[in-house]
Amino acid sequence: MLIQILNGFVYGGLLYILAVGLVLIFGLRRVVNFAHGGLFMLGAYIGYTIASIAGFWVGLVASVTVLAVLGVVMDRVVFRPLQDEDPIVTMLVTFGILLVLEDLVRTIWGKDFLTLKPPAGLDGIIMLSGSSFPVYRLAVIALAVLVAGGLSLWLRSSRVGLHVRAASVDPVTTAMQGVDTERLGATVVAIGAALAGLSGTIAAPLLALSPSMGSFILIDSFVVVVTGGLTSFTGAFVAALLIGQLHNLGVVFVPAAASVIPLVLMVLVLLWRPDGLAKKRS
Amino acid sequence: MKMRVLLPLLFAAAGALLPGLVGSTLLMTLLTQAVINAMLATGVGFMVRQNGMVSFGHAGFFGLAAYIVALCTTNHVVTAEFAVLLAVALPMLLAFLLGLAILRIAGVAFSMLTLAVAQSFYELMLRWRELANGDDGMAAELPPRLFGAGIAVFQTPESMFLVCWAALMVVLAGLWLLSRSHFGTLTIAIRENEERARFIGYETLLPRALVYALSAGIAALAGVMFALYNAFVTPDVLYWSLSGEALVMAVIGGTKAIWGPALGAVIFFLFKDVAGDLTEHWPAIIGGTLIVVTVLLPRGASGSLLALVERLGVRR
Repeated sequence: MLIQILNGFVYGGLLYILAVGLVLIFGLRRVVNFAHGGLFMLGAYIGYTIASIAGFWVGLVASVTVLAVLGVVMDRVVFRPLQDEDPIVTMLVTFGILLVLEDLVRTIWGKDFLTLKPPAGLDGIIMLSGSSFPVYRLAVIALAVLVAGGLSLWLRSSRVGLHVRAASVDPVTTAMQGVDTERLGATVVAIGAALAGLSGTIAAPLLALSPSMGSFILIDSFVVVVTGGLTSFTGAFVAALLIGQLHNLGVVFVPAAASVIPLVLMVLVLLWRPDGLAKKRS
Repeated sequence: MKMRVLLPLLFAAAGALLPGLVGSTLLMTLLTQAVINAMLATGVGFMVRQNGMVSFGHAGFFGLAAYIVALCTTNHVVTAEFAVLLAVALPMLLAFLLGLAILRIAGVAFSMLTLAVAQSFYELMLRWRELANGDDGMAAELPPRLFGAGIAVFQTPESMFLVCWAALMVVLAGLWLLSRSHFGTLTIAIRENEERARFIGYETLLPRALVYALSAGIAALAGVMFALYNAFVTPDVLYWSLSGEALVMAVIGGTKAIWGPALGAVIFFLFKDVAGDLTEHWPAIIGGTLIVVTVLLPRGASGSLLALVERLGVRR
């Protein structure tokens, strides 16, 4: 049972790192970024390739860096020019980016499933109450907690973090107060994309790499974001852990319905609180 | 004024002549599929136009209808005619009830909810192998005659094109009439400002749920035509990428005009086929074109066309 719960935390942690990037981007740019699944997948593949040459940690850093740069480019080329258009338009453009990225990855790396080994030092197993558990999975949980802690520290106590929080409540007023929201936008999208790269790379030893891995996990992270309340970081954290647990218990006990359970949870939460877990209706 | 009635009638008649003019069966097959997609996109676009809400789950209604036709005819639960009616009525009813609950949720969250509902149908059909053979899909055992016509009528590209074309024209005409009715203007008023509409004494949730039901019904009709034409369904008809494609078609065509999404669907579908023939990298081409088109023509093809006509009219 303990093992199952831990596995739930592993998936939840992965979902959190991915979903919190979506929350960041939605907060500032008001866009549901469909390309996020593509960024996750691209991050996994870049991490995979560099890791096979230069070791896991170099791969991780490279993947995060490349994705951060890609994030800045996306903000400059897509989100900023389109911010006055209907959100549907931007949403569809990100959908287009997802298609392009999937095809790009399929062309470069092929359709076959690839797997990455966990880094040396974390590839062992540990005994927990009589059953064995991979150390790497524990590291993933720790990393998710670290990301959550670091992000909340950054948002709560740095000046840029303050600006990000302000802009996600009301971008216009924030800009009027003299905050350069354009630059902030680039920073935030870069961080969001970098987090997608991070979750992609750390997911590489856990999941099989395939070009469709992005759209698969994208739905679950949308569910997390919406259940959590779209702009809430705490909400996303709670929702990710909850959905990670439910998903995992579902896989164990009712495999047929496993992927429907998070969706049902989202519907129930939204009917109960239309603005998501984090917010009470005003 | 007369032109506004005459022009669409001429267009509808011209479309009906296509099977006689186009010699190739291959092209006819393609056009028939394009018209079925046009019906689906019309449903999605109507929702955007009349409710101002973006459904990311219309493949759910489309696929549900296709599965109802396949399941009912194969298991001989009811007559095929009744199955067809059921396949349109059930998704409509479902959308109506669902709408009463989820239409209270605004914006992106609504889109994600519709996505979630459609995905759960997909998962259901994928996992419940005993019911519909899961991933492999199921063949629909259609009866030899349907609505008095031989089943071949629905499965030959030339004749099925006419059936679908006629259905699309009737739906478009119906939606046009509806948009000019009291109900149509009321729903536009609610779209523009729900609070004010409520303030002057209108019940607002019910009309919005009706619009949702109607748009789901149109998607379901497309699903029925799909099932009759192909006599085979797989869970792909419920998958979210189809919902996304339908929305792409609607936006490419522009949702301001009722016929915009249908136009967008035909453009998208033919383009996808051409790109598919040219290169195996068609998803990238589609994605790239989607980016360029939505950025350059945010009002869609119909919006640009109408703007062009207006400008020409002014010059004259």
